Amino acid sequence: MSDDAAPAPNSAGPISPLEPWPDTVQWQSISTDLIWVELLRLAIGVAFVSAVLGVSWVLTDSWTVPAALGAVGLFALWRAVTIVRAVRAWGYAEREDDLLVRHGLLVRRLSIVPYSRMQFVDVSAGPLERAFDLATVQLHTAAAASDARVPGLRPAEASRLRDRLTALGEDRAEGL
Amino acid sequence: MHGAKSLAVVIAGLSWSTLSRVGFGWFVAMVIVLALGASVLAVISWYNTGYQVVGRELRIHEGLLWRRTRAIPLERLQAVEVVRPLLAQLTGLAELRLEVVGGGKTEAPLAYLGVAEAAVLRQRLLALAGHPSTAVATGGSQPAGTEPAPPSGRPLHAVRNRDLLISQLLTPQAFLLPFGVAFVAAQFLSEGSWSFIAVASTLTAMAGVLLQPIRRVLDDWRFQLARDEDRLRIRNGLLETRSQTVPLHRVQTVRVAWPLLWRMKGWLRLRLEVAGYAAGEADERDRPDRLLPVGDQPTGEMIVAEVLPGVALSSLPLRPPPPRARWVNPLSRHVLGAGLTEQVFAVRSGLLTRRLTIVPYARLQSVRVVQGPVQRLLGLATVYADTAGGAGAAAVDRDLADAWALAAELTARGRDARRVG
Repeated sequence: MSDDAAPAPNSAGPISPLEPWPDTVQWQSISTDLIWVELLRLAIGVAFVSAVLGVSWVLTDSWTVPAALGAVGLFALWRAVTIVRAVRAWGYAEREDDLLVRHGLLVRRLSIVPYSRMQFVDVSAGPLERAFDLATVQLHTAAAASDARVPGLRPAEASRLRDRLTALGEDRAEGL
Repeated sequence: MHGAKSLAVVIAGLSWSTLSRVGFGWFVAMVIVLALGASVLAVISWYNTGYQVVGRELRIHEGLLWRRTRAIPLERLQAVEVVRPLLAQLTGLAELRLEVVGGGKTEAPLAYLGVAEAAVLRQRLLALAGHPSTAVATGGSQPAGTEPAPPSGRPLHAVRNRDLLISQLLTPQAFLLPFGVAFVAAQFLSEGSWSFIAVASTLTAMAGVLLQPIRRVLDDWRFQLARDEDRLRIRNGLLETRSQTVPLHRVQTVRVAWPLLWRMKGWLRLRLEVAGYAAGEADERDRPDRLLPVGDQPTGEMIVAEVLPGVALSSLPLRPPPPRARWVNPLSRHVLGAGLTEQVFAVRSGLLTRRLTIVPYARLQSVRVVQGPVQRLLGLATVYADTAGGAGAAAVDRDLADAWALAAELTARGRDARRVG
């Protein structure tokens, strides 16, 4: 295959699986406050499960319940570590014609969505995200499989991205 | 729109089972009342259903209590279909179905119109949809028979019914049926008990298994494909005839399949994907996506070249994934392949049923590169090319550097294709 479109991806030593074209792509990371949002979500979930387990311990007094509690604790610790790493790994980049979004640690994903294929843009912010002054921008194309979601953006950045995306989409509007 | 006729028949059929429970007189009365009620309802709804073409929009309004008006911009029209179920054929009616993107199901079924009216409306809608056909289509040499309107334009291919029958006999269902019957019979003989329930359930299971091939035969009977300027005309069906019109620039994906049992005949099957046929319609039967139900290699090549100009089916430059991909695909590594040509991205996969997916660059929606944990250990990655309303194509287990290059190339070529087209 000719590599002329991609500026020699394998020239610069070992390539990182998440950063394909280091020369041309300016990756932007998302706000690290998202770590706290995700940690809080995790904490709420863990607290709920622990409460259920605690009640059942009081009621049954069986030895399996503390074991389950321990497992939940371990899981929570592991999740906390991966959340920190996953949020650091999440990134997006605006190129001239398309938006790049990368995320995931265990399963690593990179989406390339041309602006002209965009059907609509969602900007959403849940209560936890709002408490930390964050928002999520999601791009939708006509293909159901495309996933280009950028969480953990400052509202100003989110609206800037939204406006830019819609403006570029209008420039190159094309439907299908 | 004359739903009354079909409704009455349906209701009569449904009530058949109640005949045994109530007396005959009561049954007749019930049928009459129901049929009358249905007819009245149908007539009312028929009077309240209508359409009009306003500018470049089709407006359909329906409903008496809940009025609903739907406006469809015709630029967004993906495909038009004229369907004639058996009853409608007897009464000279037809249903017009329009496919637009984003609908969960086939939008705007206009049932029922007169055949001539449906044909005229289809012509008008397609003309308004932005690609007027200038040349007068000379009606080809189709066997007219009972068909009132053979597909105009240049006929490409007509599937012989004998081939269709043989092809469906070569599906696993039909092929394995004798073995299944023999097995069940042997079991019964050895045990010597022929209980009614066992026999009935066996028969039901067999009918269920056989239903799909039989449906396919009925649906694809007298399959004709024609090209009319930049549109494809597809006609098929025995009991229910469909005549489908797909503008060529609406074809999102072409899929080629070589099922295992068909390979001894050298046959293949072609399907096309249009954005309108939403994934929501899980029932395959309702997705009229067949481009060629059965055909040999030269025919397939000819049709692919017609639908996607400049694509030669037999000489696609497919490259296999690196040898270390055999750890993930021990058996099928040599089958896998992906390649780029001038116009399309092609991916081959499948051990028993060999599949080839062809996506034109101009129809690409987005490109994804996904790497799972095992793939990361082996330095592999999968490249997905997403299209509208379909599964798209996935080049599995490419070498990582190759995957990046592939993704870059796909994006670049997709961009160029969009600029040109």
